[in-house]
Amino acid sequence: MVHLSSETLSELLDGSPAPGVEEHLASCSVCQGELEILRRLRTQLRELPALEPPPDLWSRIEERLPYGRRRRPLGRWGPVAQRVAALAAVFVVGLALGQALNRGGGEAVGPEASAPVAVTAVEDAAPPASMAEAMAEVRRLASEYDAALVNLQRMAQRQGAPEPTPLARQRLANLEALVEASRAALAADPADPVLNSYLFTAVAERDAMVRQLSSARGSGSGVVWR
Amino acid sequence: MVELTEASLVRRARSGELEAMRQLYELHASRVYTVVRRLAADEELAADLAQDAWCNAFQKIQDFRGEAAFGTWVHRIAVNTALTRLRQRSRRRDLEQGFDGRSTLGNPDRQPASAAVERVTVQRALDMLPDGYRSVLWLHDVEGFTHEEIGARLGIAVGTSKSQLSKARARLRALVMESRAEVVDHGAS
Repeated sequence: MVHLSSETLSELLDGSPAPGVEEHLASCSVCQGELEILRRLRTQLRELPALEPPPDLWSRIEERLPYGRRRRPLGRWGPVAQRVAALAAVFVVGLALGQALNRGGGEAVGPEASAPVAVTAVEDAAPPASMAEAMAEVRRLASEYDAALVNLQRMAQRQGAPEPTPLARQRLANLEALVEASRAALAADPADPVLNSYLFTAVAERDAMVRQLSSARGSGSGVVWR
Repeated sequence: MVELTEASLVRRARSGELEAMRQLYELHASRVYTVVRRLAADEELAADLAQDAWCNAFQKIQDFRGEAAFGTWVHRIAVNTALTRLRQRSRRRDLEQGFDGRSTLGNPDRQPASAAVERVTVQRALDMLPDGYRSVLWLHDVEGFTHEEIGARLGIAVGTSKSQLSKARARLRALVMESRAEVVDHGAS
C-alpha cells in the first residue's frame, strides 16, 4: 500500500486535505499513526516552557538607550553625597565667575550689582538628608547662578560692551538651549556622570561667551562677537 | 489594574523615564526572549536579538498607540527583529536546505520517554532545524501566523511557506525519532 506523503499529512494536520485522502486515512493505521505523531509534536512545541533571558540583558539594553547609564565605579562616597558633589561641580565655573565680578566690584551701576552673583558654596551647607532635598538645593543654586549670569550681561552692557551680532546671539541661544536640555536630562538621572559632563561642558561654553562679552568692554573691541 | 499599571509605565517610558522602561522590560522579558530564542536556536544570538528588539521598541515607543497590548506590540517587534536577522543570515546559507520528508515515514513506535526528556528532545530537534524550516514551523504552529503572513514576513511565496512547513514537520519528526532511538539504545546498553 502507498502511504500518504509528508505534504499530504501536513495538509491533514491543518485540516485541508485533498479529495480522497480521508478515505485512505480511515483504512490505514500507519498513516493514522504518522498523523498522530505530527499532532503530538505540534502540541509539544506549543507547550515548550518560557525561557528567561540572561541576567545581564537589561544592563546591555540600558547601555544603548539614550538616557542609559554608563556604569562607573561608585567610589567611596555615599550615593546622595556623590550625586550632590557631581552636580555641585557644575557650579564651580559660576562661583569663580561671581567672585571675579565681586572683586571688580565697587563700581555698582544699578540695583542688579548688589544682587547675588555667586552661588553658595556647597561644602558650607548642611549635608542633604535625602535625594529630593539634594535636588531641591541644586535647583535653587542653578536659579541663583542663572540670575548672576543675567546680571553679568547687564553690567557688561551698561559699561560699554558692544551689542552682540545676530550670529553671536544665535550661538548664545543655542548654548542656553543646550544647558537647559542637559539639565532636563540630568534631572531624570542625577548620578549619570556622562550627563553631568555634558552639562558641565555646556555651562562652561555658555560662560565663555558671556566672559567674551564682558571682556569686550575693556578693550572696546567687538571682535569676539563677529 | 495590570492594564492601568502598564499604561502608566508606557506613558512614563515615552517621556524617557528609564525606570519605567526597566519595569516594562521585566514584565515582558521572558516572552520576548523566548520567541527570539526559539527562532534563533542559539543563546548568544538570541540575547543579541532580544537586546535589539528592546532597543527598537524603546526607540519606537512614541509610535505605540495602545491599540494592542504593549506585550503584543513588543512581541511583534521581537519576531520582526529575529526574522530580519535570520533572513540576512540565510543569504549566506541555503534557506531551503533539501530534505526528503518521506524518508522519515514508518517506524513510529518507539518507547515513549518521560515528559521532561521529551521536552528536551523536542527543543533540541527544533534547534537543529535549518533557519527557514524552524521559522515557518514556529510562526505557523506556535505563533499562529497564516501562510500569507509568513510569506510577507519572510519574503517567500505562500506555496513555499506551505512546502517549508511540511518539510519542517517531517524533519522535526525524524530528529525526534532519532533522538528517542539513541535514548532507547543507551538505555539498553
